[in-house]
Amino acid sequence: MNGILSLAVITFKEGIRNRALFGIFIMALLAFALTVIMTSLFMRDIVRIAASLSLTTISFSGLLMVIFIGTNLLSKDIDKRTIYMVLSRPVSRAEYIVGKFLGLCFLAAASIAFLGIISSIPVFITGIGYQNSMAIFNWNVYFIAVLFIALKLMLIVSVIMFWSSVTSTSFISLILTIAVYIIGSTNEVVKGFLDQKIEGMNITPLMTAVIKCVYYIFPNLSAFDLKLQAANGLSLAHGYVLWTSLYWVLYVAIMVSAAALMMERREFP
Amino acid sequence: MPLIKIDSVSKVFKREFSNKKIEALKSLTLDVSEGEVFGFLGPNGAGKSTTIKLMLNLIRPTSGTLSIDGKNVSEKRVRRMIGYLPENPFFYDHLSAKELLWFGGKSCDLADSVIEQRTYSLLRDLELIDAMKRPLRSYSKGMVQRAGLALALIHDPSILILDEPMSGLDPMGRKKVFELILKLKEEGKTVFFSSHILHDIERLCDRAAILINGSLVRLINVQKDLPSGKTLEEVFFEEVERSGGLRE
Repeated sequence: MNGILSLAVITFKEGIRNRALFGIFIMALLAFALTVIMTSLFMRDIVRIAASLSLTTISFSGLLMVIFIGTNLLSKDIDKRTIYMVLSRPVSRAEYIVGKFLGLCFLAAASIAFLGIISSIPVFITGIGYQNSMAIFNWNVYFIAVLFIALKLMLIVSVIMFWSSVTSTSFISLILTIAVYIIGSTNEVVKGFLDQKIEGMNITPLMTAVIKCVYYIFPNLSAFDLKLQAANGLSLAHGYVLWTSLYWVLYVAIMVSAAALMMERREFP
Repeated sequence: MPLIKIDSVSKVFKREFSNKKIEALKSLTLDVSEGEVFGFLGPNGAGKSTTIKLMLNLIRPTSGTLSIDGKNVSEKRVRRMIGYLPENPFFYDHLSAKELLWFGGKSCDLADSVIEQRTYSLLRDLELIDAMKRPLRSYSKGMVQRAGLALALIHDPSILILDEPMSGLDPMGRKKVFELILKLKEEGKTVFFSSHILHDIERLCDRAAILINGSLVRLINVQKDLPSGKTLEEVFFEEVERSGGLRE
């Protein structure tokens, strides 16, 4: 256990000191400032727009962070052989995967907590001048949406872990992770389109089967997107948080276990 | 019973996207006793680093077995006994030497107070105490090598496996590592190290193995078996010539 936790701590420290992270934070802070300016151009739904823009900024900044810093941290271990420093100690390959995953999750959690708190400032400032718009806004749902962005990023980290354990270069791992992100963000819409059974639309049974397979194999990332609910102050459906969290636990456990299995088979010449 | 036992170990690497195979190690059999300083000699590509990586379970043998203290090297607990310095060590850029050693100690279940005490003692001995809070990316090559040695020693292992420990060091750095290996020998540690600096092996080792093209060609008791008037370097060159030179 000490091996896993100590690896998680040094992974977190290595990630949090990465200069790219500061660049992403500065970009996010500028976007938050821009949110206040942009909302002043609108006549109505001001708080809704501010909340929506703030959550989009957190989600995009977090995505850049986990994809670029996460892929880099893992692949550099293998490319530069820093993995020798870990695996030559009493740390198994599976523990290496879990330790790295936890370290990157700490990094995602800390970054999203920071951005989440900062993001509330433009929403709050906008709300001061528009009390009517603020009346329908619900801070609880807003922060649940921030929490779900963090969960989505951790799920993407588990996907990065998997690809890094099966590929030999960071570039391939990066491309495959981006592909999973794009499919995962759109598969629910595609499945919904398929379920509508629009008249005149000819979808072959093979295509239907492929879409269903993709829907079940790839992560449903849109389930973690609560921008609409947060921006409009809508309450969440009963059990939504619980079921989505369970889905998250299951998917992450499968990806991390698969990564650990693949890593156990690997050699580091 | 030998502390390190390598029994008929072969290792074949397959090239990615082709069927070409490279036999890096050919049925290597070797024993190292407790408290022995064992030198591993060979030209580049002879299989020295491959043997070391097999001992650390970083790669797995195609055939044969490796054991340390009677346990298969694939067992995690074996590595608690080992301190390893890779050739050209790379560490996390943004960590300091102090944080690196904290990880080294924690991964071996050492208490924080022990880690603290050993960190200061090792970094003082290896003259890194003033730089211990600086990020490792700001270290010179010699300093990185010494930080690697400190990491190898933090948990007070009984076996040291050092892959080219003198590589890239200036004369002062080499002297420091030389003295350190002598100190470890006096403490009764088992040291297994590869080096191209034959003079150092001759002065430090009890025994040495010469490996050429993946095969063990000679095992010498350095202190007793060297032919009279010959240095280890001369014996080494003779063996390379007898083996028909180096493969590509």
